[in-house]
Amino acid sequence: MSMRRRLLGAVAAAALALPAAAQAQPIPVGHLMDNSGATSDVGVPYGQGVSDALQWVNRTRNGINGRPLNVLGFDYGYQAPRAVSQYQAWSRDRVVAIQGWGTADTEALIRFVTRDRIPYISGSYSAALTAPKGRTDRAGVEAAPYNFFYGPSYSDALRAMLIWAKQDWESRGQQGRPRYVHMGANHPYPNSPRAAGEAMAQELGFEVLPAIQFALTPGDYTAQCLTLRNQGAHYAYLGNTAGSNISVLRACQTAGVQVQFLGNVWGMDENAMKAAGTAANGVVFPVRTAAVWGQEAPGMQTLQQISRISDPQGQVYRPVHYLAGVCSAMLMVEAMETAAANGGQVTGERIRDGFYARQDWVPRGFEGVCAPSNFSPDDHRGQLRVALYRARVTGDTTQGSVGELIRAGTMRLEPVTTIELERRAEWLGW
Amino acid sequence: MLAPAGDYRTSYREDMTIFPTRNSRIALWLGIALLCLAPLALGRYELGLLINIGFLGIAALGLNILVGFTGQISIGHAAFFGFGAFASAWLHEVAHIPVALCIPLAGLMTAAVGLVFGAPAARLKGLYLAIATLAAQFILEDFFARAQWFTGGVAGRITEPFTLFGWVADREQSYFYVVLAWTIIMFVAAANLMRTRDGRALVAVRDHYLSAEMMGINLAYYRTLSFGIASFYAGIGGALYAHYLLFVSVEAFNILFSIQFLGMVIIGGLGSVMGSLMGAAFMVLLPEVVQVAADALSGSAIDRALRLGASISFLREMAIGAAIILFLIFEPDGLARRWRLIRAYWKLYPYSH
Repeated sequence: MSMRRRLLGAVAAAALALPAAAQAQPIPVGHLMDNSGATSDVGVPYGQGVSDALQWVNRTRNGINGRPLNVLGFDYGYQAPRAVSQYQAWSRDRVVAIQGWGTADTEALIRFVTRDRIPYISGSYSAALTAPKGRTDRAGVEAAPYNFFYGPSYSDALRAMLIWAKQDWESRGQQGRPRYVHMGANHPYPNSPRAAGEAMAQELGFEVLPAIQFALTPGDYTAQCLTLRNQGAHYAYLGNTAGSNISVLRACQTAGVQVQFLGNVWGMDENAMKAAGTAANGVVFPVRTAAVWGQEAPGMQTLQQISRISDPQGQVYRPVHYLAGVCSAMLMVEAMETAAANGGQVTGERIRDGFYARQDWVPRGFEGVCAPSNFSPDDHRGQLRVALYRARVTGDTTQGSVGELIRAGTMRLEPVTTIELERRAEWLGW
Repeated sequence: MLAPAGDYRTSYREDMTIFPTRNSRIALWLGIALLCLAPLALGRYELGLLINIGFLGIAALGLNILVGFTGQISIGHAAFFGFGAFASAWLHEVAHIPVALCIPLAGLMTAAVGLVFGAPAARLKGLYLAIATLAAQFILEDFFARAQWFTGGVAGRITEPFTLFGWVADREQSYFYVVLAWTIIMFVAAANLMRTRDGRALVAVRDHYLSAEMMGINLAYYRTLSFGIASFYAGIGGALYAHYLLFVSVEAFNILFSIQFLGMVIIGGLGSVMGSLMGAAFMVLLPEVVQVAADALSGSAIDRALRLGASISFLREMAIGAAIILFLIFEPDGLARRWRLIRAYWKLYPYSH
């Protein structure tokens, strides 16, 4: 072949490729992670789930309508100010949606994302993010029309756990009023469901004790456990993430404190069960997915494919937060697909409307894994069904990986009950 | 030092000029003119970095007046920076004072707080003073987390952009001018302060406190005053930060940030006005450079060999620590001295001896 013909061929190929390249312009999406901060214990698996799912969409589904996602990841170390400055950098890159993380930063960004019309799918399930039109009758509930998350809000999850606690109290034939206490750091995230939980506990006839504080980082919380015992609490809510909750559980086990702990959705998982050992036995907490790793479900195969993105051997056990990360990424992906359908532009506004397009919404291919969500322009409480599980740890967890311990039955997640909350208007936003 | 041959100072006034030669004055005006044109040429990212350098430089200058000029020590500077940020946001929110006025008022409020926390400086020196300022850091940090009325508690406070007669500086392109103006004002003020009786008294306290006292300098007064001035600068810097980020949260003002301010002052050059700005520039640009390096590294052979993975983000923090150590060993007088040497080299080229 002569040089000239080869050149001609190259030019022709380039000419063919150019329009295709122009069409497949990547869609910029922000991904805020905590891989190094106070909540990195649960932030790492969640962030991995989000990032694997988005990569998987690029590889197997050819992105959104042929346009790949350009995921801009940033580890902000759970520092709200860093998240805000990163948000400003992203708004310069014209991201159309953001996968976020913590409560402090998500709440700080509400006004910004509303102004810039950028849907923000957070890892924070603070109830303050569920009122798209805000509330005039409650202080501090701003309009958050661009905030979404996958799962029941912290407040609703806690309400469900309190309903269960009440049933548990009665079914065990206990006399008198049960005593409830809120535990957590003085930080927007643990504080978020505090008022809602205490009001619900009052309503259900609990005696509400003064809240107990412990930091978001692991430490010695023996003093807090002794306070628990002295107060005579029966049900204690752990508002922090797994790492510091483990410290409390272990300290209370050592001190011999007998309390039924109710974990936040980020407060317990398989890794924490291994770390806490038998101290974690009996903790009740909400699980956001209809199945956990290793169980059979129609959508589980898709999930295993996604998991292979970052674990080609398929050996790693994925904790509940990984699954939740995948589901929340897939909600965003499908909302973007709705926006792009029929040649539509993938803009923030259209993605937001994509969140309203379906009823009992389970992302395609994730049936039996992702729980159904319902969003409406007046109400962003996506889920009001709360599945409660109990952590069961029957033996020594120091040997073997999480996957092995689960297979051996040393640790397991045991379904307790599913509470269906009413969609009460006065609960919106707090 | 770098006065041209034959340029004899014949009056005290001439001896005290900040910019001694005609060329240096031309360079100054040219530099300011160029900076004024920066928003036309630079993108939002670069302007954002310049804005950061501006308000951090102002706060670092405050610390330099305290550490470099007066010879005191403070490891609570970030708390004062934070106080300025909260004060400005609070004044605007509660009293509805225009942001343009909130910034200097926040500076004054911070100065008042600084005078209170600086009181131990009248009696303490060295390590003891360092511990006293550490206490200030913790007291203020805890205050920020709990004073709901003032700071919005742990959730932080959202604030409004800078406005002046209907002109809204809510983007980098416009806010840059606000920070530039404040930077010029604060740096000129500091340079002038050092020419006054009070400024010289501060330096005298640093050089030898006993001699200073014998010359009639009231040690307690000047040491406390130095804290007040440093806090004023920190407050102005913090207020500018607040109205740039539009969100103030207690999390930002931890002890690490205080140490970073010390790093800026040491790297820039203790006892140098311009050095403070250089140190701030260094501290702002270093993480960006490391980030670029880390991005280039990630996925490469080195990354795989060392199994860096997610910990690549820690490189940033490590690089800052390493930079401080390297500067202390190789350039204890900071960037300011290096800059003087470079200038002298060009000035004397090719006859450097």
